[in-house]
Amino acid sequence: MSSFSGILFILLSGFTLANPSGATGEEEDFDALHHTADGYYMDFEPLGKVELPRLLLVRDSAGEMSLRLYTGTAAALRSGEFVAGGEHGKEDDGEHATGDPAQASSVETLIASGKHLDVQLVPASGSVVIDLSITRHLVFAMLAAGMLLTLFLNLAGRYKRGVGRSSAPRGIVQNLFETFIVFVRDDIARPNLGEDRYRKFLPYLLTVFFFVLTCNLLGLVPFGATATSNIMVTAVLATCTFFLTQFNASRDHWLHVFWPPGMPVLVKLMLIPTEVMGLFIKPIALAIRLFANMTAGHLVILSLIGMIFMLNQQFGPVAGYGVVPASLAFTLFVYLLEILIAFIQAYIFTILSALFIGMAIAEHGHEETHEHAPESVGEAGLSPTH
Amino acid sequence: MEPLGLAWLGAGIGAGLIALGAGIGIGRLAGPAMEGIARQPDATNEIQRAMIIAAAFIEGVALFGLVICFLLNIKA
Repeated sequence: MSSFSGILFILLSGFTLANPSGATGEEEDFDALHHTADGYYMDFEPLGKVELPRLLLVRDSAGEMSLRLYTGTAAALRSGEFVAGGEHGKEDDGEHATGDPAQASSVETLIASGKHLDVQLVPASGSVVIDLSITRHLVFAMLAAGMLLTLFLNLAGRYKRGVGRSSAPRGIVQNLFETFIVFVRDDIARPNLGEDRYRKFLPYLLTVFFFVLTCNLLGLVPFGATATSNIMVTAVLATCTFFLTQFNASRDHWLHVFWPPGMPVLVKLMLIPTEVMGLFIKPIALAIRLFANMTAGHLVILSLIGMIFMLNQQFGPVAGYGVVPASLAFTLFVYLLEILIAFIQAYIFTILSALFIGMAIAEHGHEETHEHAPESVGEAGLSPTH
Repeated sequence: MEPLGLAWLGAGIGAGLIALGAGIGIGRLAGPAMEGIARQPDATNEIQRAMIIAAAFIEGVALFGLVICFLLNIKA
């Protein structure tokens, strides 16, 4: 890699320091993309890495499907039923025979070097149908879900007992979360969904808001990973919004999509494909927005940290040490910005979900062709009540 | 120039153009919103809400472009 294209690469995507002679352990590859990506292990780096269980549905050469469970990637490789494929396994391509001593020793060296964590598992015979392995992002999504369940079941119990309904809410936790809940209800659900319909969708909006917020914030915790920086997680959330929107859509909504009123037929024919595409683009944009925002923030942080290593390699240790204060100051600034963005993205995901649902459920007279019915009911919901 | 360098160059120029477009978009959005708030301080909340939603849409388009730049970049 020439230094010019190297710098370009760093500025764009983070930082890769290819160090061919880096057997010293201290000089490791610093790859920002790799750090934000999903993986089959938990990264507690100065302390070590914990492998997560691998669960793969495999179709063997005879066509039989079987479910294989291993305690980790290393165990799967040691079992001899899988060989290392993908980028890091290329050097092993020459040895296909399983069970021979050369293969076994190369597996051990691979595991010793720690690179086995990033290999793609390829079955020795047959093919992988589905990789159901638990990944880091899944662990953190589940952690967020677990935290929210504990917290909100506890809070719901309090309200059931009357604390917060017949009396004032008690304790920091209840007061804090009541503020958030009232905010979602009065500033997101009511203005967008309408005074009489918002109750039906409030549980979904609250769930999405707190789940996205918790996932975003867990990514900023040391050793944490951002589940929402995984496009699969955000796509599932957006799919929920999509189905909720379509299943609750009013007759007027479908009329506007498939036969927009008040226009010449020729324009209608042009508008219909656009409207149909719009149905799908809305949730896709929702998913990509959250994913890209959370990924980009982490890449910026890692790139700023990576600048230390880059200058160290390019211009020597003096430049490396010299840039540390600036790099750390910027990192701190971006980190604080990330906390803000964690809240803003949770808010935006929720309010856009509410907006899309509100646009779909709105019922209006056929002579009026605008889709802004919910705005007119916005003023009614400003006084917070318990 | 080698093709890989061209891809990186394209990604870089694309990211710059995206920043320009998003900046113009959000600028045109935020300026009038500020004026509106200055004239009608009572409507601050509603203007702000509408502004944030519109900003999110602009940002969404910008992020689409950014993802394409990113894909160009990691093509290597």
